[in-house]
Amino acid sequence: MFISEQPLDIVGLLASAHHPKAGALVLFSGEVRNHNLGREVDYLEYEAYIPMASKLIRQILDAANAKWPLNIAIAQHRIGKVAVGESAVVVITASPHRREAYEANRYIIDRIKHEVPIWKCEFFSDGSKKWGGNCNCHEVTGDVNKHIYDV
Amino acid sequence: MKVQVFAGLKEYFEPTFELEKDVQSIDGLKRQLIRLRPSSAALLESCRFAVNDDFVDVDYELNEGDTIVILPPSSGG
Repeated sequence: MFISEQPLDIVGLLASAHHPKAGALVLFSGEVRNHNLGREVDYLEYEAYIPMASKLIRQILDAANAKWPLNIAIAQHRIGKVAVGESAVVVITASPHRREAYEANRYIIDRIKHEVPIWKCEFFSDGSKKWGGNCNCHEVTGDVNKHIYDV
Repeated sequence: MKVQVFAGLKEYFEPTFELEKDVQSIDGLKRQLIRLRPSSAALLESCRFAVNDDFVDVDYELNEGDTIVILPPSSGG
């Protein structure tokens, strides 16, 4: 399951990710912070187009497995209302040595943020809301399918 | 043809709607939607399009019965 309407079970995912051949495990949790661009954030709401979001996360994990010798590659993204301090996305990678686990983990989260059809709406404490636009790469690349990952 | 839109696009269009007029391509669809809601142009120009859950180019020719989804730039994570 790649998209969850329930709070992400980070501890349970971590417990399921230990592997006898892995000497390193990296867990990334993308968490909701209480401010963005100088404004106070109350909570976020995430929306996904689940059929394609699931398919793309599967493809991104497959690509990571092809690039690095991973024992474990897991990603889950939450949708619906997510409170400050809660986890919106979790990526776990495990490999024999730490370098691959770190690199693959970053690759997976970068591609999820830029490519997977998931959107956040920020709800501010002044009562206003704004749909987020993390990926504005097309303004630089001129192509909605070309991304710059190191930003 | 059925169209489904997401996130910020829902401030301009119903989440799902049927195309009333015939359009031949994704580009034609985009131009028709911009005529309908001119202020959505900048967002629509940054969107990806998919037909039957596969990404397509703007010159993709639409067929009867296609389901088109319009995906604004991702902001997950």
